[in-house]
Amino acid sequence: MLLRTFFLRPVLRRPLRFVTTVIGVAAGIAAVVATVAASRAAVASLREGVNEVAGRARLEVTAPAGLPEELLGRLLPLTGDAVVVPVIEEIALLPALGDAVRVLGVDLLVDTQVRDVEPDAAVLASGRAANMLLVGSGVLLPQRLAERLAVRPGDPLEISIRARRRTLTVAGTFAPRRFASVWDRVLIVDIALAQELFGKVGRLDRIELVPRPGITEARLTAAARLLLPVDVTVEQPRARAAAASRMVRALQFNLTALSGVSLFVGAVLVATTLATSVVQRRGVLALARSLGASRRQIARSLLTEAVAIGALGGALGVAGGVLGARAALTSVRSTVAAVVRGVPATDIRLPLWLAALGLLVGVGVSVLAAILPLAEAVRTPPVQGLVGERPAFLHRPSRRRAAAVAAVFAVLAVALARAPAWDELPVAALLASMALLGVLLVAVSPILDLLARGAAGPLARAAEGTPIRLAIAALAAGRRRASWGAGAVGVAVALAVAIGTMVHSFRTTVIDWANQGMRADIWIRPLAATTGVQVGRLDPEVVRVAERLFGKDVIDPFHTATAYAGTQPVTLAGGEFAVVARRGGVTFRDGRDSRAVFAAALAHRAAVVGEPFASRFGVCEGDTITLHVADGTLSRKVEGIFYDYSNQQGMVVIDRNDFLRHYPDDGPRELALFLPSGVDPAAARDRLLAALGGRFFVEALLNRELRAEVVAIFDRTFAITRALQAVAAAVAVLAVLTVLFALLGERRRDLALVRALGGTRLQVAGVVAAQAALLGATGAAGGLVVGLAIGFVLVKVVNVQSFGWTLRFLPPWPSLAVTGALVTLACLLAGLAPALAAARMHPAEALREEG
Amino acid sequence: MTAVTELRGVSRRYLRGDEVVHALRGVSFTLSAGEMVAVVGPSGCGKSTTLNLIAGVDRPDEGEVIVCGTDLARAGEAELVTARRRHVGIVFQSFHLMPHLTVEENVALPLALGGRRDAVRVLDLLRRVGLEGRRGHFPAELSGGEQQRTAVARALVHRPAVVLADEPTGSLDSASGTAVLRLMDELRRQEGSALLLATHDETIAAAADRVVRMCDGEIVAVL
Ligand SMILES: Nc1ncnc2c1ncn2[C@@H]1O[C@H](COP(=O)(O)OP(=O)(O)O)[C@@H](O)[C@H]1O
Ligand SMILES: [Mg+2]
Repeated sequence: MLLRTFFLRPVLRRPLRFVTTVIGVAAGIAAVVATVAASRAAVASLREGVNEVAGRARLEVTAPAGLPEELLGRLLPLTGDAVVVPVIEEIALLPALGDAVRVLGVDLLVDTQVRDVEPDAAVLASGRAANMLLVGSGVLLPQRLAERLAVRPGDPLEISIRARRRTLTVAGTFAPRRFASVWDRVLIVDIALAQELFGKVGRLDRIELVPRPGITEARLTAAARLLLPVDVTVEQPRARAAAASRMVRALQFNLTALSGVSLFVGAVLVATTLATSVVQRRGVLALARSLGASRRQIARSLLTEAVAIGALGGALGVAGGVLGARAALTSVRSTVAAVVRGVPATDIRLPLWLAALGLLVGVGVSVLAAILPLAEAVRTPPVQGLVGERPAFLHRPSRRRAAAVAAVFAVLAVALARAPAWDELPVAALLASMALLGVLLVAVSPILDLLARGAAGPLARAAEGTPIRLAIAALAAGRRRASWGAGAVGVAVALAVAIGTMVHSFRTTVIDWANQGMRADIWIRPLAATTGVQVGRLDPEVVRVAERLFGKDVIDPFHTATAYAGTQPVTLAGGEFAVVARRGGVTFRDGRDSRAVFAAALAHRAAVVGEPFASRFGVCEGDTITLHVADGTLSRKVEGIFYDYSNQQGMVVIDRNDFLRHYPDDGPRELALFLPSGVDPAAARDRLLAALGGRFFVEALLNRELRAEVVAIFDRTFAITRALQAVAAAVAVLAVLTVLFALLGERRRDLALVRALGGTRLQVAGVVAAQAALLGATGAAGGLVVGLAIGFVLVKVVNVQSFGWTLRFLPPWPSLAVTGALVTLACLLAGLAPALAAARMHPAEALREEG
Repeated sequence: MTAVTELRGVSRRYLRGDEVVHALRGVSFTLSAGEMVAVVGPSGCGKSTTLNLIAGVDRPDEGEVIVCGTDLARAGEAELVTARRRHVGIVFQSFHLMPHLTVEENVALPLALGGRRDAVRVLDLLRRVGLEGRRGHFPAELSGGEQQRTAVARALVHRPAVVLADEPTGSLDSASGTAVLRLMDELRRQEGSALLLATHDETIAAAADRVVRMCDGEIVAVL
């Protein structure tokens, strides 16, 4: 009954407010669930991929640059204790699919014992298929993939390996026993074929050890160690997965934190709605108190409302989040794939815990947001006491207190922004952003109070008779709720401005970087998957063809490999220093001409390192760094530190000849071509592609195309961010709508009085609309200031701490001005509905309602 | 007869800016079970203050306000809630019905707040105030007289010992006002509740068993 009185009935009779609040919470939860689900799907695929493909292997024998095949022989004494399985695992592009696939080269005779896949019975039975697999170029496909590509045994299957077109023969299909999605993009070939295809003859990527019953892992490890060289590791597959997921951790954290932002906006909306609903129901609550309702009963009914909003919003948000995750996956996939070389996940799963968490966070946020409104609700006096209440200005002490609290928040924000990263994550800096939002929320109320006092002053008296004057008075009277509304607008604007500033600073920096550093005329690289993920390397023959056509001294092949700084993986790259020293390249942090730096590096056999590497390992120009590479260690002096936004794990670049001494030439990742002046790049590209014939799947991009692509990749990566910005803005408008309807309800009698005294409908509507615009303008102004501060923290602290990237702080002034104007306009528009309601109100009716 | 309400030396002061307003100055009187007492006096003499103290929505600065054995001046929040919920029924000048509830639900509200339900009793009262046919209507759909009759039913539904009515006819035309007064008098006789009625209208006071005349926060005569 009580619930019906205070909660259900008002909701049923005026459902709009309740529904908008639920949507606000749902939007916040959806944003969180979507980003968490999408980034987890991408990361989980790495981990699951590793674990599942590793099968029953308990231990893996690996080395940074792979293993020589002879090691297999050395492990022969172990065959009594374990199944010893050699593996090649590589990535190739399946052009028919437009996506990357994992190619697993295994010893088919032993492998079915250890992996959870079941080849078609027919495959093993048929001698022809077995022959194809073992001697010819036969490949096993997962059943689902075969169906999708509509291929049958005996059909040819075209794949691109190191950009070279290769044709395999479908020998049969296999069905994974579980985790079908992990296996959806895996091709299985015989290990000898894999070695040939990927230019790894005589080499293995890893050797898996599956202990026989009764043999412990520890014993096997010890035994294997005795038989193997010291630079070879024996560890669990999990360790490999952990290293991969560690790399995307910062990315995942930032995405989640960013989506938490929209949840915060949702919370502000709930607080606003509940606060206004308490105000709107003040009379009802007061009457209930007179008739004997206890404070607890009133608190309980408000809490029920909060929980209902949270649970409904949470449930809707989880559902919406799953849909959103599907949409966001592309963006997250390419971001993750850019960080970790791998085949990312294809489907979104909603783990039960995430659904439960979404629901719980929804309820938790709503209940937290209910605290202040709740305090106000239980303070409602009995109805006899309401009559004497008059709107009062904030007292001096409370304004002074607000200023003090705001100052404390501001100091806290500065201190947190200066704090170092916490376990490599920018936790303190994000807390600093929250503190800045706190400044905003605390400061809004006194600012509106100043406005209201201004309204009582001479300035306002000059404007007497206009709707503005009445609107200011109305805002002044309803200042407590108005500050909720302006606060909500302010938070949303601040977040939009902060994110906008961050993205713009980032984008401009990256574009400038690309314009300065990308000087080659043509880039050649393996055909990318439709997701934009680059798959594998270029066949060395592509380099030879280019050299033949254009000469050796205009070609800069760029090789990469994984090396280790201590235990941390970093990218070791080799570039043609002699070419770049003539033509110029990346931009160096100390401002030196890149040609001079590369010339010096070439002369002294020194390295240049990317900024993320330098900040991650605290390296300066002139220091000497030591890396673990395939054949031992490599020590080089650091000649220069260049800006690098393409890589966050850290990159060290040495001269190509130097690089090739440590790593065999298995082809560069890409090839840059510097044409002599006067040569038409487009014509040169046509010549090159013609010379390559149809044998390779390569992309050749002209300078401007590559730069456009950099921007496109950037925008795709930040698509989620923009969506979050839109959510924040929508929530802000909802908040204004809620508050205005509440203020309107509160001022109903006054407005009716204005009408009764001869005011026109237009004047009354004008009062409400002006009120809305004032609210919006106050929120927008506060949000702009705080948003710039948060943007500064994001650009100068969060980015550096999580990626090691230095960005310039470049607020997008014109679009910020537009945002401010648009928000004010949106608030004005949001005010139209209540303004119309006010205009339609019959004066006598409103006066009578109150008795 | 037993006293259902007793005021002993009750004073109440308000601050209005820097000025102290003495709303009540040492007021004492007794309300016995089942009797009807009218409090009369000019506007601002302290009638509403007196009723609010008995309703447990305000506290005196001095003196005792004993309602059904509880001194509300010293009672805790929980006892005040109980007093409002069980011992007192209120009729307001401006009706104060819950806008989202039907007539029937409004009448049932005091019971519901105590976790009780008694559809028979609610229906019976609605019949007696002549609103049986309008029980599904919302307050906004009723006339002033009908709204006040709903409020009268609500004030009696939980069988309070005391019904407080502060200018109950102040918002009504004289015909509906007279009807509401007659109804209140009739019902409280049947129910055995005491009725304390504040008014500045001497003619209304005529129906009361006793009249307490107030002026400037003091009782000047009891007739
Ligand atoms: N909450 C209050 N604050 C200040 N003064 C009050 C308050 N309530 C009542 N008063 C003052 O106390 C006096 C008695 O008021 P009241 O009991 O309402 O008179 P009545 O109901 O007889 O007209 C009046 O002067 C009134 O202005
Ligand atoms: Mg009065």
